[in-house]
Amino acid sequence: MASIVLRGVDKIYAGGVKAVNGLDLEIKDGEFMVLVGPSGCGKSTALRMIAGLEDISGGEIHIGDKVVNHLPPKDRDIAMVFQNYALYPHMTVEENLAFGLKLRKMPKAEIQRRVVEAANMLGLEGYLKRKPAALSGGQRQRVAMGRAIVREPRAFLMDEPLSNLDAKLRVSMRASLNQLHERLGVTTVYVTHDQVEAMTLGDRVCVLKDGVLQQVDTPQNLFDRPVNLFVAGFMGSPAMNFVTADLVRDGIAFANYRLPIPASTFTDKPGLGDYIGRKLIVGVRPSDFEDARSANGHNEGWARIPVRVSVTEELGSEINVLFTIDAPPVMHKDALALAQDAAGDEADGSLPLGGGKSLWTARVNSRSQVRPNQDLELVVDTHNLHFFDPESGLAIGHPANVRG
Amino acid sequence: MMKTSNRPDASARSRPSQSRRRGHRSPKSDVKVFSNLSHVALAVWALLVILPILWTFLASFKTNTEIFGDPLALPENYGWDAWGRAWEKARIGEYMLNSIIVVFFGTAGTMLLGSMAAYVLARYRFPGNRLIYLMFVSGLTFPIFLALVPLFLIVNNLGLLGTHTGLVLVYIAYSLPFTVFFLAAFFKTLPTSVAEAAMMDGCSHTRTFFQIMLPMAKPGMISITIFNVLGQWNQYLLPIVLLPGNVQDKWVLTQGIANISTNAGYEADWPGLFAALSMAIIPMIVVYVIFQRQIQSGLTSGAIK
Repeated sequence: MASIVLRGVDKIYAGGVKAVNGLDLEIKDGEFMVLVGPSGCGKSTALRMIAGLEDISGGEIHIGDKVVNHLPPKDRDIAMVFQNYALYPHMTVEENLAFGLKLRKMPKAEIQRRVVEAANMLGLEGYLKRKPAALSGGQRQRVAMGRAIVREPRAFLMDEPLSNLDAKLRVSMRASLNQLHERLGVTTVYVTHDQVEAMTLGDRVCVLKDGVLQQVDTPQNLFDRPVNLFVAGFMGSPAMNFVTADLVRDGIAFANYRLPIPASTFTDKPGLGDYIGRKLIVGVRPSDFEDARSANGHNEGWARIPVRVSVTEELGSEINVLFTIDAPPVMHKDALALAQDAAGDEADGSLPLGGGKSLWTARVNSRSQVRPNQDLELVVDTHNLHFFDPESGLAIGHPANVRG
Repeated sequence: MMKTSNRPDASARSRPSQSRRRGHRSPKSDVKVFSNLSHVALAVWALLVILPILWTFLASFKTNTEIFGDPLALPENYGWDAWGRAWEKARIGEYMLNSIIVVFFGTAGTMLLGSMAAYVLARYRFPGNRLIYLMFVSGLTFPIFLALVPLFLIVNNLGLLGTHTGLVLVYIAYSLPFTVFFLAAFFKTLPTSVAEAAMMDGCSHTRTFFQIMLPMAKPGMISITIFNVLGQWNQYLLPIVLLPGNVQDKWVLTQGIANISTNAGYEADWPGLFAALSMAIIPMIVVYVIFQRQIQSGLTSGAIK
């Protein structure tokens, strides 16, 4: 096992495209680090540079105490799990698992021991003599994991290993991955574009955008204290709601709402007071809303806002309530990048609202039984409002930004 | 003769799938008409291919008089005299062994060198890659007749004229362009991540090629092997230039067969000629049947998702 350290790592492709830009990252020994970001953010490139499959254009990568910039993949003592599994189709499962060990001239008995052990761990005992073509998607995925495990490398690299599985299998494999990491304790770098995977798997999560590191922190910290608009919007599902608002002495005003801000917020977020009388971007997590009728008891610091429900998404235990507010969508570049990512490759994925309206989401308890086209009174937990600078998009009062 | 009898087989195989695919898009009644028509066409084609082979085979049992009397009549009695004469007197046995040796080494060399060159050209980026590839491909456009005289001089200068080594080397050079062209396209379709996985597992480039990529390329390799075996087996022009009359014991099958008809003048042994032709056709049919079974689609299935 080993730590992995990236110092100012750059990747410039032929043609001048900068896929990774000055990436500094320290992955501790035994840590599960998740690299997450929208497609094209350079996360896979970063992983492939650690693996040795891509040249490093600038900076240094250390694995353990060795600089590995010019080491070929096989000498880095790491194993990789590919998105499309990349099994050897002409070999049986057993041969697939043993291949890397045979190449390392390991004694036969030891190979056998490791293959059997890994097969037991992954529930592949019954399939050792089969070829990959005769396996299901989940089984192939486990063989790909097994091929990494038998090597007992210093680090695992995983490139979206679950993205080809169907939803249910993905959730169960996610749990197995967590168990596996608990058990083996091997340093793991995991690339995904799925923020739920990132939150559930990572000891720490590293958010990348356009090849630039945005924030590295524990999943809870990323969720509670995002460093900028991009991280705030990327982490969490449904995504955070944003609006451009005026900050006044006792609260914020946007659309036709006025939300009070608790005094504690100003002390928690140094620098927020400087924005009084100016515009800033406010972010509200859908989970910080509740239906006023079922929110009895904790009214302190909760502001009421009446809305007209346009769509509801019932999830069983919760309901996502979509409603429009009379304020134009936030046009900050990070917000636009997020919208583009959510829409996929299509240029215009979301329905045009027009008339300077934007769509918000609130997550309320299913007891509220709200239906579309009803009027609903929501309460907002004003302790958990997020504030961003309208120019830079940086979170106001975040320790990283205050120091900078 | 052999060329025309063997090649339509290959194209006949690919035709039904084509028509079926096209049929899927059109309405149902169209499909029926089209599939009926294509079956008629295929049947006609099959007859065109099978009948001459059958006729050749039957003619080897006839006498000269029978062949020129009624071409469509069946032989009166089925004796193997002509086959014996061809094998012994016309030395077809000897020539066939020569052909087998030359084609074996020619094809083996072509496949080894061609697949290696194609893999590198398809998978690695280096300056001059495109140029080398284009030079290989331009070899396809080069008529062999133009090269005959220089080829003769070069082989002669190397002291390889009238040797099997010389012929094998020329066969390899002659077959490489199409082999590289075909296999480079094939290697490009194979998933890169499998090669990367092999590199992570500790394979060198050479081992990745021989142990991982080559097995995955098996369908392409077999198709092109059949193509090369047929092409080299049927080759006539190169052997008559490179294995002249003074080394008659080194001749290959095609020269031997031609010799039966040309040397004998007015007393040509036609049944012997047809027997020799049949003998030359049979190994190719065997090779084709054996290899064709090995072409399985979806050899890479299971490799990626």
